[in-house]
Amino acid sequence: MQKKPLSILLGAAVALMPILASAAVSLPKTVSVDNGGVETICGSNEPEWREAQTVEGVSIQESLRCSPDNPAQIAAEVKGTNNISMETLMNTYYAADAIIKKNDIDGDGDPDFIIIKLEVAELNGHSPDFDGLVPTFDIAPAIQPGMWVFAPKSRGMATNSFVGTDANPLLRAPSPVIRVEQGDRVWIQLENSHYFPHTIHLHGVDHPWVDSAGEGNDGVPQSSDKFVLPGSSKTYEIRPRQPGSFVYHCHVQTHVHLAMGLVGMFVVEENRPNNWVQTFNVGAGQVRHPSKAILEEYDSEYDLHYHAMDKGLHDIIQKYNDPRLIAKKMNREYNMNDSTEDYHTLNGRSFPYTLRESIIVAEPDQNIKLRMFNSTGEQLAMHTHGHKATITHYDGVEHNPNAQIMRDIYDLAPAQRNDLKISTVDDGLHSYGQGVWIFHDHREKGILTDGMNPGGNVSALVYKKYLNEVGLPKTIGESIAPLFTKKFHGRKLPVWQDIDAWNSLGEIDGKGYKAPQAAQPMAVEEGPKPMDFYDNALANKDNSISNFVWGLILGIVLYVLFLNREKIMAMIASARGEK
Amino acid sequence: MRKLLITALLSLTFSSAVLAEKEFLDHTNLMNHGDGHLMDMDGGMVMGQNTDTLPGGCDEIAATKEITVYAGHKYSENFPGRMFAFDQQEYQFEPCTKLTVNFINEDSIRHQWMMHGLPKYLYPKGMFHLEVTGPGKISGTLIFPPNDKTYLVHCDISQHMEKGMKAQLKIGKGSGDLPSIPGVTAYVIQDDYSDSIPEPIVAKPLTSKEKKAAKIAAAENESAISGVLIIGLAAGLVLAPLLARKFKGMAAGEVVSTIFELIAKVIGLITKLITGLIKMVSSKKSIELSDK
Repeated sequence: MQKKPLSILLGAAVALMPILASAAVSLPKTVSVDNGGVETICGSNEPEWREAQTVEGVSIQESLRCSPDNPAQIAAEVKGTNNISMETLMNTYYAADAIIKKNDIDGDGDPDFIIIKLEVAELNGHSPDFDGLVPTFDIAPAIQPGMWVFAPKSRGMATNSFVGTDANPLLRAPSPVIRVEQGDRVWIQLENSHYFPHTIHLHGVDHPWVDSAGEGNDGVPQSSDKFVLPGSSKTYEIRPRQPGSFVYHCHVQTHVHLAMGLVGMFVVEENRPNNWVQTFNVGAGQVRHPSKAILEEYDSEYDLHYHAMDKGLHDIIQKYNDPRLIAKKMNREYNMNDSTEDYHTLNGRSFPYTLRESIIVAEPDQNIKLRMFNSTGEQLAMHTHGHKATITHYDGVEHNPNAQIMRDIYDLAPAQRNDLKISTVDDGLHSYGQGVWIFHDHREKGILTDGMNPGGNVSALVYKKYLNEVGLPKTIGESIAPLFTKKFHGRKLPVWQDIDAWNSLGEIDGKGYKAPQAAQPMAVEEGPKPMDFYDNALANKDNSISNFVWGLILGIVLYVLFLNREKIMAMIASARGEK
Repeated sequence: MRKLLITALLSLTFSSAVLAEKEFLDHTNLMNHGDGHLMDMDGGMVMGQNTDTLPGGCDEIAATKEITVYAGHKYSENFPGRMFAFDQQEYQFEPCTKLTVNFINEDSIRHQWMMHGLPKYLYPKGMFHLEVTGPGKISGTLIFPPNDKTYLVHCDISQHMEKGMKAQLKIGKGSGDLPSIPGVTAYVIQDDYSDSIPEPIVAKPLTSKEKKAAKIAAAENESAISGVLIIGLAAGLVLAPLLARKFKGMAAGEVVSTIFELIAKVIGLITKLITGLIKMVSSKKSIELSDK
């Protein structure tokens, strides 16, 4: 009987519905968002740079990736800017005195006295003249965090041309990999072209604490070194006795200067006769002129430098021009304890740009040497698809060959280096066969660019037969074109736009949408009771027990008080009476 | 052994040579690469050199001038918030002037004196450019076109112009002022200094007279706005009428004795209540159940 009024009401509502809301009950419609234009996936392709060739007597390995290194630049890096023709030098951005190589002191056919000049460059910095950044370096489409890098000494303009604001190819992240030969006498001359003080600390590299003049050589302002002030220069002197993968970084306000990008790999190659090593590997990645020792055991060599950046830090140099303000914001107001890393890069770029520069190209039955370096603030968990690599060296020291282990996750503590040997023997262990095998951080945030996936430090190991004519992997999955748009990285593009014929996971057009009156729930039939019904029953039961016990106690107390009511009244009266 | 000795000797000579204070280098021995491009192997460079070709519209060289430009960190001293600068921020010459610039870099890094916007048929990329790693000097010459124009002069190394190494060169009356020239024009995009009001670093020591005055002021301050005083005031205002009613018609002695009496009563009541409660709890009877 009780149900009757309700059913009448519901019946009336159902009867009225067609009149009220036939169209209005549908949800907002789906629209396709204009992707704003897809960049050329492989932009500045220089086909002739990709071939194996010899320049200035320097043999340069093939590099099949989309953006290969400039062979003239490799020649300058191997021979030194003082031992190449003016024509070759002019085909690079190097200053004439950027890399000086001379004096075959031990008479083994290679130079043993090396002078390397480094400047400090700001990328994506502020301009007081216009609302934009200078000089620009995109880590992904339209992603331009402010950065500082050590850069090989260049000449001329910081930009590529007058028209654009693109940084010249020597001014880029990461700070260049420096390579020297074991036993070389090396001077690293820091010409501080930046507006803040900096130093160089040679992390892990054999170096004396003081140089030959008795001055600090460790780069630490608190213990051994003066700041290298803006406009000043300082020479660090080393003669490394041990080979290995090491690091160099600025040691002034290290927490922020390292995070800003003033950190790079420093590789000491084993001593061999006639061993001209490639002093700089700008942008890291493939070493196109591997050392003699590497070629004894490996077919190719790659430097993989992982870095991460917190927007909150990297924005500072874009918001302010006054160096005093930047120093205040960075040194005193920015608190790294509260930071989160937003951009995750491999060799200065994030996916999908890593596909242009930082792919590993493999062929079956090869040995490939990887030097992995972690300059982020956190532990990395690098993972290779399709391959299990052997860790041969930790922090530049060879691991006991009998105890070397194979893994598919390589954990790298901050500042740590792992040397890996990848064998492409298809045995189901070392390699699972040919393909386009990605490799990436397995902390999932490592594969994000400011929270967007895919991004971050993802790249790929690509077998040659899966490379197309411009050096991009022949992928057979979803199109990567939408990833080469500014809209995607600006979070404007639905990740799954147009995955089917009617774009069922596309953008919602909520414009003018008014939600209809919410419907009333209607019991179709007595269904099974929801689980929480039983939970509530249980809870009620519990309550009733405790309530009962409390009631019982209260009852007894009241009863006792009632029995003794005269005594209590008398006591109160006596207390009062005596006053 | 002999080899080793030679090695040691060689390395010693080298280390002493370069590690010593960088010496001033006058870059005069430049190699000519054509098209006004001159260069040496020590980081000296001239681009857009033109000593004799008259730009279109100039009948003759109107004047021959020579300037010396100094560059370096130290020239930013007079411009707070800058880090690098030229010694001079403005230049002005007659149209069709032939100008030789002696560029002296006093820092130990690269600096440039780069000019843009020149006619491209005469100056590759429309640019006249001097570059030298300091400490050192390099010189170059150019001839200006006949029209009135303001040329940008700057150092194009990353952030050098932004941080102060910027100037303007006017031919004739020029064509206006460029922004962000230290000491001449303002930034287009200004910094926000609103939260940069520092705390006073050191208080000025006070004289004895000032100290005395300060003390008096402090005492006055204390008596005037003490928090306790205000609370007392409020309590007084509330209690006054109550007390007034109670003491109405009493002599002063009576008032005092009444107050004492009141206090004694309150204390007595409290102690009684407490002892009573204790008794109730401790006496066996009170916690015994009924006789039934």
